[in-house]
Amino acid sequence: MPHAGTMSSHATTHPGHAAPHEDHHHDPGFIRKYVFSTDHKMIGLQYGITAMCFLAFGFYLMMVMRWSIAYPHQPLPEWMSWIFTDGWKARWLQDGKVTGETYNMFGAMHGTIMVFLGIVPLGFGAFGNYVTPLQIGAPDMAFPRLNMASYWVYLLGGLVMCTSFFMESGAAKSGWTNYSPLAGFADGQVVNPWLAGQTQWLIGLVLLITSSLLGSVNFITTIINLRARGMTWMRMPFFVWSMLVTGFLLLLAFPPLEAAGIMQLADRVFHSSFFMPSGLFTKSEGLADLSGGGSPLLFQHLFWFLGHPEVYVLLLPAFACVAEIIPVNTRKPLWGYKSMVYSVLVLGFLSFIVWAHHMYMTGMGAAVSTFFQTTTVLISVPSVVIITAMLISLWGGSIRFTPPMMWACAFIPMFGIGGLTGLPLAFNLADLHLHDTYYVIGHFHYVVAPGILFGLFAGVLHWYPKITGRYMSGWLNHLHFWPSLVCMNLIFFPMLLQGMAGFHRRWYNGGDAYLSKAADSTNVFGNTVAQHIDMNILMSMGAWTLALAQIPFIINLFVSWKTGKKVESDNPWNATTLEWATPTPPGHGNFTFDPAVYRGPYEYSRPDSVQDYIPQWETPKKSKPDH
Amino acid sequence: MEIPYIVTPRKDTGLFNSKIAIWLFLASEVMLFGGFFSAYVFLRIGADYPWPERTLPVLPGLINTFILIGSSVTVVFAWASLKMRQWRRFQFFMTVTIACAAIFMVLKGLEYNVKFHHQAVRLPDYTVIEGHLGYEKEKGKEVLDHHGRKIEENRILIEASGLTFSTVRFHTPWVEELLSQAAHRNAKITLAEDVSAITREGQAVGILAKAGEPLSPALLERLQEAHLEARSHNGALRTAALREKWTAAKAENPGKRGWQIASGVNIDATALEPKLLTEIGTVAFKVDPPARMNFKPRDVREGDTQSRLRDDTVIDGKLLASPMVFHNVDAIDFRHLAMKAVEKGQDPMAAIENSWLINNHAFAREAWEWNKAEVAKLEKTLIATYKVDPKTGKPNREPTAKERYRIGWKEFAKKAEDAGRPKLGFWGRISEEFKGPNYAARGEETFPHLSLPREQIGFSSKFTPAWNTYYAIYFTITGLHGLHVIGGALVLAYYLFFGRKMYESNPEWLANRVEIGGLFWHFVDLVWIFAFPIFYLM
Amino acid sequence: MAETPDAIRKSIRTYLFVGAVLFIGTVVTVMVATVPWLDVGNHGFDAWDAVLGLAIATTKASLVAAVFMHLNHEKKAVYWLFGSGIVFVTALFGLTALAKSDPIHDSRFYGKESVTPAPLASPTLR
Repeated sequence: MPHAGTMSSHATTHPGHAAPHEDHHHDPGFIRKYVFSTDHKMIGLQYGITAMCFLAFGFYLMMVMRWSIAYPHQPLPEWMSWIFTDGWKARWLQDGKVTGETYNMFGAMHGTIMVFLGIVPLGFGAFGNYVTPLQIGAPDMAFPRLNMASYWVYLLGGLVMCTSFFMESGAAKSGWTNYSPLAGFADGQVVNPWLAGQTQWLIGLVLLITSSLLGSVNFITTIINLRARGMTWMRMPFFVWSMLVTGFLLLLAFPPLEAAGIMQLADRVFHSSFFMPSGLFTKSEGLADLSGGGSPLLFQHLFWFLGHPEVYVLLLPAFACVAEIIPVNTRKPLWGYKSMVYSVLVLGFLSFIVWAHHMYMTGMGAAVSTFFQTTTVLISVPSVVIITAMLISLWGGSIRFTPPMMWACAFIPMFGIGGLTGLPLAFNLADLHLHDTYYVIGHFHYVVAPGILFGLFAGVLHWYPKITGRYMSGWLNHLHFWPSLVCMNLIFFPMLLQGMAGFHRRWYNGGDAYLSKAADSTNVFGNTVAQHIDMNILMSMGAWTLALAQIPFIINLFVSWKTGKKVESDNPWNATTLEWATPTPPGHGNFTFDPAVYRGPYEYSRPDSVQDYIPQWETPKKSKPDH
Repeated sequence: MEIPYIVTPRKDTGLFNSKIAIWLFLASEVMLFGGFFSAYVFLRIGADYPWPERTLPVLPGLINTFILIGSSVTVVFAWASLKMRQWRRFQFFMTVTIACAAIFMVLKGLEYNVKFHHQAVRLPDYTVIEGHLGYEKEKGKEVLDHHGRKIEENRILIEASGLTFSTVRFHTPWVEELLSQAAHRNAKITLAEDVSAITREGQAVGILAKAGEPLSPALLERLQEAHLEARSHNGALRTAALREKWTAAKAENPGKRGWQIASGVNIDATALEPKLLTEIGTVAFKVDPPARMNFKPRDVREGDTQSRLRDDTVIDGKLLASPMVFHNVDAIDFRHLAMKAVEKGQDPMAAIENSWLINNHAFAREAWEWNKAEVAKLEKTLIATYKVDPKTGKPNREPTAKERYRIGWKEFAKKAEDAGRPKLGFWGRISEEFKGPNYAARGEETFPHLSLPREQIGFSSKFTPAWNTYYAIYFTITGLHGLHVIGGALVLAYYLFFGRKMYESNPEWLANRVEIGGLFWHFVDLVWIFAFPIFYLM
Repeated sequence: MAETPDAIRKSIRTYLFVGAVLFIGTVVTVMVATVPWLDVGNHGFDAWDAVLGLAIATTKASLVAAVFMHLNHEKKAVYWLFGSGIVFVTALFGLTALAKSDPIHDSRFYGKESVTPAPLASPTLR
């Protein structure tokens, strides 16, 4: 290739869209190019768009739940209920009010959709797919058709889960954790167990696990075997390291849940008793017609064996995006790159042996609790190393507050709050009080919503110019960013307070049932509820405003595609990593030259260089690339 | 665009892509089967019933182990032949491998089949009886149900005189089932009284269906449609009315929170009444003449005069005695009963002597006495061989709970043979290992007949995942393993039948692929190496 | 590394040998479980039988993995990849079993004065 090693000139030869890289293969046609594409970039975009749709749907479910919590006696307003048909409303709402059953259904599906169908596919599926092969200098994923299969299986799983909303049984109602024996019995009135929402949830889950298995095998193989010349392990951007660890988490943590899912499916469909203890009674049926002898705790073990690594599956892509954005926008190397890499590896390892901190209340014994408490406290060390390294990276940099950088900067304190509020939950004594309260919800959402989602928003804004050749609008971003930041805290901070006051996380009416006790001055809990219940309205208002605040983003996402400011070069942020060496947008096969890497990923503001950055691919004056 | 390292290994890692992928996949498979095996451990440690140890016949499992190990050897040879570029040898060894997979699955199928036709009943006092369950034979022949099929599971019998369906929840196949049961008994199911309803806002009451109209899914669907329409119409009206009330209430009580005024905000039912449509939640039918109908226990919540199906169909009628009998009892198991007795601090032997079965069936007492004598003999042998511990005065080795409390089919056979029944030949015994006890050859003297009143059926099931957690995990692990065998065999068969072209153009690539397929095959073998002792020998 | 035809020809003898060992191992497992005078530990199935049975199974499995799956001369990367699965599956086994039978109930773990809760229903009978 003529351009090998002369990238600074290369960037200027392919401005904008007019990259002449399509000459050596013919146009594959619309269906192959946009629908059944095997190109990792198109699959990444498919993942991204699908995941955002699911995120919006999950968000909507939450808005309805927030109405039920804030105004349990009032009918759902028209602006939220217009989406349903009258028949659906008559089935699931009582005189327009959200019923407990409907709330449970929305709650379970909100959690499921956000975690399994929204954030994991957005972080790992979309960003991972689009960016990872570019950053390691690979032409595509190692197994492009497997990659396509992974997306379609994911979509199928998501649709199977969501169609159950329209079935007679409704969607799953046993929480996103789907604990047995509740989940084994739920929808038991449905004659054909395969047609119950609760069963559909399990089928969907097994499909999603299959999808992530295909994805993770592909990612790890790609990262191990398809790195460009000279891309040694310690020259890999932190993003790639994160994806590698995420891949391993998905690969090894999901199968036990698949086992649990299959066993729960057997419980539901073949009436086995894996998770059903002896002597179970149900309210409507009396003594259950089951052999019994199973263990509900077993489900919890297998679920949380996935469940905890899953948290890091959610988190690491956000870490990855922020870690890429900070050095670009501070024009200085990522502080402590190596310590971050080792931390993320330790994080991945430890995340497998902390799961039972979700189970302190199951009476599993003090010795085991102590073990898990210790590992849980240990795992905060690598996370703190990473977040501190990011914070220190800001120190002394000439920070450019570009749109992605704003989100990255907000990510650090928001995730910090989320992480620190987790510490009391790690200690089994403190957890006795906080378990299953809104405190847990507040903690978890601080990590996921203003934490992870902010990191992913940063990623969208950062790589948008590479994907489309245009910048996203700055002022629309301001309209998006500031209200989001305020609203997120408005929603989740009061949750921490309510939780410490003892508000249970599954109250569908926000504590209303306890208010009758408030008049009795001797009933402390009734009074506590009365003192904190008005926060519900504040939080719900925050949630609905947050929905409004997302509108500028959606507009920005679509409108900028056609009308945004065009990028001046292939490397608009003057970044150092390999994805910016490709044409904009990258064509099939990615690179127009044979990529080779000569240095670490974050060579900014080197005193021996004229430019304030040296791309990884720029040929050094004398030395040769390592093989 | 070419993806690199498909055939040749990358230098620094030394691996081609699919080799990395298969090892990753195998790691994930380890986690999957690890999840199941740890479930096995967890369930077994925590079982609150006597774990059925060493309960499966060993012979089929042993043969299957030999077959899988053999196929593991042949698949290595197939790969080696490819590496040495010997196509014919490759074909031979691969064919043997796939044949092994087929034999494995056939044996597995036989094993499953025995369990699917073998029933067990747990009595309320935790005595377990196993055998061949069914209706009492009439003139030596099996009684067939209205579909002409043998009945092999516990049934609930009801003399149904009336049926009330839920218009929302009725299950069409069940309606058809009820119709066919009634037809079998020459009974008619007809609408008990006129169904009248307001179907348009402001209109008068009209008749939707006349009394005497025969039951059909179409009729129920028609009523369902009317009901759903009324429900959504009424729901919309009620919602609008409640909204209005809230708007007014908020205007009247400025500054008050919703929860402070909620108790005073209600829909004005009388004002709304004239606008509402009639909701037809249930619709009643009568069965004339009252007909005997049978239901699966899991589908019906039975009561003396009124029972309810899972789809909310209410059946009026008398509950009848259970028709179920064991044509042949082939095991009586007191382990669970003994365990419960120990938990309560009672003497297990006394508890067994007082059990319902021993006191109501002479053959059971006889078998129990015979078994006690056998255990005594065994105790003597064990003391003679392994002596008594001089410190504690207890024998070093004692009979197990299984030997003490379970009279299995082999014990029944031995008892009958001791009493003079002719023995089965060698092949007869081998065939019993695969097919279960041979009732026909051994006769009712060996495996006696037993009738069970309904109230003595605490829980009954075939030997399926529903029977207990042991069978549940057994079927799940072996079933999943079987799926892996099929999957692996399909992949290997693909290389065998469609590999020729690739062999000619790029033999190294085919060898790589066979190596990958072989790795998976070895893993399947590896799982079985653990599954066999765990399920058959422990 | 048995990659060249010559090396493979040599290792065929090994494959046959391992196959024979696997067959013998299977027979031994069955015999110790069914023949009374080979029974280890107490009469009938007990912990010793489980240990012995699993030990034989593990040996067989290791042979399959080492020889048939070529793990005896595989690249380092494969050990890392597959090893991670083995490590975490051990964690899964160990910790769930630990949670089921918490050592805190064992007086040796916590001193003699510890309050021992009423034993859970035990599947083994005297």
